[in-house]
Amino acid sequence: MAELARTIQGGFVGSLVVFGFIGGSAWAQAQGAAGALVRYSFDDDLVDTGPDTFSVSQFGRGSVRLSTVYRFSGYRSVEIRDVAGDRNFPELQGYFPIRTEGKLYLHFAMMTTDPGEELNIALAGPQWFRLRKDGIAFWLKTANGYLTAISDSMPKKLFCMRAFVWYVVDATYDIDAGTYDLTIRQEGLESPVADMRGQANAASQPGSRVDKFSFIGDHDTDASNVVYYVDDVLVGVDEAIVHQPFAAPGRRKLFVDYWNSARRARAAHPKPLPMMSLADLGIGSAETAALRQNGAGELLGQILSGRLPEVPDDLPDPSRSILQSVIAWREGARALTDGDAELALARFDRASQLSPSAALSQMDAVMALANLARWDEVDRRLAGIVPQWRDDPRLPATLAIIGLARGDLDAVEHQLRPSAESSGLLAEEYFLTLLWKGDAARAETFAHTMLARGPDSERGLWRERLGDAAFLSGSIERARDYYEASLAEHPRPNSVWLKLSDVYFKLGDLEKERAFRERVYGSLRER
Amino acid sequence: MPLVPQLVWGEDASAAQVQQWVAGRNVAAIRALGRPVLPKLVHLYESASDDGFKARVAQTFYELGWESPEAKRALMKDVHTQNQDLRLQVQWALGRVSNDQDVVDTLIANMRSDSNPLFRDKAACALAYDQIHLSEQQKVRLFGALIEALRDEKLDVRRIALTALQIQTGQTKGFEPGASWADREQKIRVWQSWLAQYKAGL
Repeated sequence: MAELARTIQGGFVGSLVVFGFIGGSAWAQAQGAAGALVRYSFDDDLVDTGPDTFSVSQFGRGSVRLSTVYRFSGYRSVEIRDVAGDRNFPELQGYFPIRTEGKLYLHFAMMTTDPGEELNIALAGPQWFRLRKDGIAFWLKTANGYLTAISDSMPKKLFCMRAFVWYVVDATYDIDAGTYDLTIRQEGLESPVADMRGQANAASQPGSRVDKFSFIGDHDTDASNVVYYVDDVLVGVDEAIVHQPFAAPGRRKLFVDYWNSARRARAAHPKPLPMMSLADLGIGSAETAALRQNGAGELLGQILSGRLPEVPDDLPDPSRSILQSVIAWREGARALTDGDAELALARFDRASQLSPSAALSQMDAVMALANLARWDEVDRRLAGIVPQWRDDPRLPATLAIIGLARGDLDAVEHQLRPSAESSGLLAEEYFLTLLWKGDAARAETFAHTMLARGPDSERGLWRERLGDAAFLSGSIERARDYYEASLAEHPRPNSVWLKLSDVYFKLGDLEKERAFRERVYGSLRER
Repeated sequence: MPLVPQLVWGEDASAAQVQQWVAGRNVAAIRALGRPVLPKLVHLYESASDDGFKARVAQTFYELGWESPEAKRALMKDVHTQNQDLRLQVQWALGRVSNDQDVVDTLIANMRSDSNPLFRDKAACALAYDQIHLSEQQKVRLFGALIEALRDEKLDVRRIALTALQIQTGQTKGFEPGASWADREQKIRVWQSWLAQYKAGL
């Protein structure tokens, strides 16, 4: 019989290589909160990949990368993109301390662009992703458009999935009994679309231990072209942790959420902005391809996690310049965080010189200048780079922080003297700073004044800002009215479309939410 | 015995190259040609007089994992060959080129009835690992046949059928190949109940 035990691939994973980067890198956070074993919102700062956190495999032509296009909460999710026929699959795999007894709570949000394409999500133990004891415990997959749970070694249809709709999965896994309860909610619906109790685990194995989870496309037939998004992955031993507001079903963070979290996190002095994607550092698809061609993807991951201070001598260009720029940016960020704004400025400028399209280095240089109170230079540089930051959720908070660092608001207001000659950027900065300080009434009055007396070319912008003030104060319908009115006169309505998308999400109109969102981002089907 | 048979390829240099890649186990190069290479491989297989080379071609089909009615037709001709290497490679490759019912039926028959225990064992191995193109309905038929094989009078057949089931499902349902007939029947009924539930859920 030993003859039968031919070696097979280990389920989802054959040989696993840990990549230090995933298209975006700055993500994932295993939290120290009591009861939480794993908590990834994909909005946090850098954490090393590794055996205690997570790994990303992106062999073949598929990819695992951060995405700001779709997210359930915060401003990022992870996009997993599989390509049929490439003999491989992309994988996001996370680890946590092995659990041998008791209950485990699993929570995550997912959205697929095509339910007809296969995806697999699993929780497994030391025997990896195989149907056996200590192997797969919990397994969801799509099959013929249905989300399916594998329980007692058989597929059980749960519901017909919809494309571009977020689903929130909550599972309570009883390790000792080998069973789980499963609840799945669909974005915008009150009642769960799946609610099952006491289901046998994947291979009906009581006592099956768990220590990892995995998100992939397909693993066997290599026929999947799935593109799907995962957000708010949480594994915990305390049910209360799972049900914290971290990602309450149906909720997602809006542009104001970044504003609010930044307000909570920022000290008085401008700090480096969080990195949201590799594009922030001037690393687009061409640069990524170059890094891969030079075998430097892993080096990038090491640099981003602070484990590699210098680029190897033998690395050719353009990979060499790309990585040197990233090192310079990291050094600048560290210096600015430590309060050495002079050094930070020099390093950010060096990074920009090496990679002129690195928008984050340019903005961080402005933050360093703000720390140094070199306001003329702040204004000059900001005027040059703000246009490319217009759709970025970090911009309003950044401007407010700069305004706050400027200090004497009354003097600034006096300087502004709302008129056709006012500096648009400085006025915007002033307005945002008032909001940042919680003075919504004064901010709104100022915006109305600018609307009445400012140049005609800025009327649409000031209506948008009035919408911002209303949104931040919780007046969603008033915000909608301001945003809608601003569109007629707005020189560049992308930012308004995005905010209207958020407004309609808040108002529960998902069709309009999607319509406005897709005006900006298009549809994934068209990519 | 020459590993690379002297086949006539005329002016078709690429076909000759495929032949060399098969002999050299350069599957990556063959894969890069895409599915249009399949007829050439089938021709290579059917033209070869050397079983060792045929086994290499069968192994190539296995590694490519591409569905191909032509490859299945060619391989099925050797599914009862007594050449050990060729038989094993053919049995393993079949499930990776086809999901036709007669492939599963033939492998089940080999698993239960072949006179050579090694071939029986490797047929079970193919059923356990290599039926990668089966639909869920086809899996139900496969599981049904394996469950039925738990009733085989040969102990080793019951054992390999159970192992194939265990690899496919992660479970044994408490079945012991060496247990009494009554005990075995009781556990077979558990398996059958499971299969009925599986089928009902599709």
